[in-house]
Amino acid sequence: MRLEIILASFISDFKSFMRSKGTLFWTLAFPIMLILIFGAIFSGTGEIEYETIVVDYDQTDMSENFINILNQTGIINTVVKDIQKNDILSYIKDNDVKRLIAIPEGFQEAIIEVQMNINENAETSISFYFDQSEQQSNSIVRSVISSVITQLNMNVSGGKNIIQIKDIETISGEFGFIDFFLPGMIGFTIMQTCIYGSLERNTKFRKDGILRKLLTTPITRSEWIFSKMLFQLFLSFVSAVLIIIVGILVYGMNINVNLLMIILIIANSFLFTGMGMVIGRFVRDEESAGMAGGAVTFPMMFLAGTFFPLEQMPEFLQAVAQILPLYYVNEGLRNAMIYMKTDTAIFHTTIVLIFAAVFFLAGLFLTKWKED
Amino acid sequence: MVEKRVQCPKCQEKISCYGNPGEIVKITCPSCGISGKVIFEKKISEQENAIEVSHLKKVYGDLVAVNDISFNVKKGEIFAFLGPNGAGKTTTVEMIEYIRQPTAGSIKLLGKDIATSFNEVKEKIGILPQEFHSFERLTVRETLKFFSKLFKKRANIDGIINAMDLKDQENRLYMNLSGGLKQRVGVAISLVNDPEIVFLDEPTTGLDPKARREVWEVIAGLKNQGKTVFLTTHYMEEAEFLADHIIIIHKGNIIAEGDLEDLIKRYGQGSVLQVKNCKTKDAVKILEENGFEANKSANGEISIKIDFKDRVLEILSVLRHECIDYDSLDIRRSNLEEVFLHLTGLKLSEGD
Repeated sequence: MRLEIILASFISDFKSFMRSKGTLFWTLAFPIMLILIFGAIFSGTGEIEYETIVVDYDQTDMSENFINILNQTGIINTVVKDIQKNDILSYIKDNDVKRLIAIPEGFQEAIIEVQMNINENAETSISFYFDQSEQQSNSIVRSVISSVITQLNMNVSGGKNIIQIKDIETISGEFGFIDFFLPGMIGFTIMQTCIYGSLERNTKFRKDGILRKLLTTPITRSEWIFSKMLFQLFLSFVSAVLIIIVGILVYGMNINVNLLMIILIIANSFLFTGMGMVIGRFVRDEESAGMAGGAVTFPMMFLAGTFFPLEQMPEFLQAVAQILPLYYVNEGLRNAMIYMKTDTAIFHTTIVLIFAAVFFLAGLFLTKWKED
Repeated sequence: MVEKRVQCPKCQEKISCYGNPGEIVKITCPSCGISGKVIFEKKISEQENAIEVSHLKKVYGDLVAVNDISFNVKKGEIFAFLGPNGAGKTTTVEMIEYIRQPTAGSIKLLGKDIATSFNEVKEKIGILPQEFHSFERLTVRETLKFFSKLFKKRANIDGIINAMDLKDQENRLYMNLSGGLKQRVGVAISLVNDPEIVFLDEPTTGLDPKARREVWEVIAGLKNQGKTVFLTTHYMEEAEFLADHIIIIHKGNIIAEGDLEDLIKRYGQGSVLQVKNCKTKDAVKILEENGFEANKSANGEISIKIDFKDRVLEILSVLRHECIDYDSLDIRRSNLEEVFLHLTGLKLSEGD
């Protein structure tokens, strides 16, 4: 292995990649577009009214009035519950509550004190508990509450902040669609990039005589494959990082970057590069290879639980998923990055590693540069 | 052992010395005692072979693609491997380039058997594969730089760019180049390691005549740089224009070998006077009665063989004397197309 050759190859790949608008779009922009589109479709718009639990510790006319106003907005649908103060967090967790408003004792008193000029600085604050994984719908609900409060403050005191809002983030234990979807997108994008990259090298480069040319130069096959793998891994990590950044910035996701996730990304890259090599061995011309690639990746996109949870599918399709490598990649990434179920993630990672070893070695043995 | 007579630079004494071609011999002047070296140049006929192919055979199932062929290519010459599509040209050249495994036979490049020392030979050869298409999104300069990094020995890239007349194109992406330029870049890539032998497999296929001409100029230039060029082609003009030595291959067999003049002399019809649009009915008969060899082709053209130089004048006087009416006359020299036609009964372009 000569570093200079590997570096030269990497630089050539990088330049070619940066100059191909199509590849740039499909590898980097397209997955993000998908995330934003699917994110918008599946989180939020399904609910027209946002069910919100309200706990009223004040039990006064004013607090009742406040709840009514919230209901009249047509956006919030309040469900009044009686919960002990100390039990709120556990209640939220046990019942997968997405959002909850708590009206404190002394709510009415504070308003009256200001109105009657008994105490100009009297305050009261409403607690807004929200699940951070439901960011989109909660930001709508919060803006409604906040405008209702602003209006109330206006009416009561001419704009003093008597009533305030206090945000309390919770993790309800229930994960939203985006938590399911985003790791799947990482697995899926890497699969696409690697399989098509590998197909290009094994069909287009063969047709164009590049492989024959390389055979007659001193570069060894292992140097060539290693340098290409290095670039594939680089692309895989760029995709993963970009998708994670979108998850954090747009959806406020809580993502755990850990060793298992990194191993999964690496194994995933080897797995589908190997699969591309295997396909390229049997389908020699570029266009049919592209279609064969599609025939492999397209069903996997839907059946391996990238876009929809397997539980939503009929049982026989769930059984099919069990033999698809991408299913283990997706599940592994979810468990490692989001659900923090390390044991399950290790199980999935092991299976992905086995798949990766099988396909990559098969690819290595099946592809040859020499002609018959 | 040959004799060479030299003159002592100091005392002008004439000295005889003996050596083998390619050898450098040290001598001392017997009269003044000064020492010097005498170089024994190689004669063309004694030049080493760059490529030696013996009993090369390639069989695919029932098909014999290359049938036990042997030939040598001398250092410094442009060697053309001419034949129609499917004759076995690419199979042969790819076996020589160690891309394909021969069924039988041996190949030596620069004296080394490629079956055992191809890795060593790689550094000294440059190859343009058939229908080669380089990385689309690299510029010409980047492409050359990438390929040169693969070799230990590296030619100066600017030198190659200038020699191939690519200076104006060096920063264009390969994908945006015309077909002729792409092939020129392909030839340029084969030079990045300053190779001793350059293999060009059908370098002008698919190019228009102007682009083809430009590639020819570039290939002719390689010879001036002292490189051995192995060229495969199915264009006879290409072999005629470039080659020092030609092998014609047909259905896996070598059917003729020699330089251009040689082949034409042996297998060609000689020169022919063509009478176009002849309106006289019995023209062929009249000409034959006068002792000429004449043929009428389907399009009404009459070809009269010119056996020797003065024959032309005789033909003209007969045409005039017999009042043969025609539009125009043309003298056509025999060419490789005709050689191939003579050898196989086929036209080169339809040989497959």
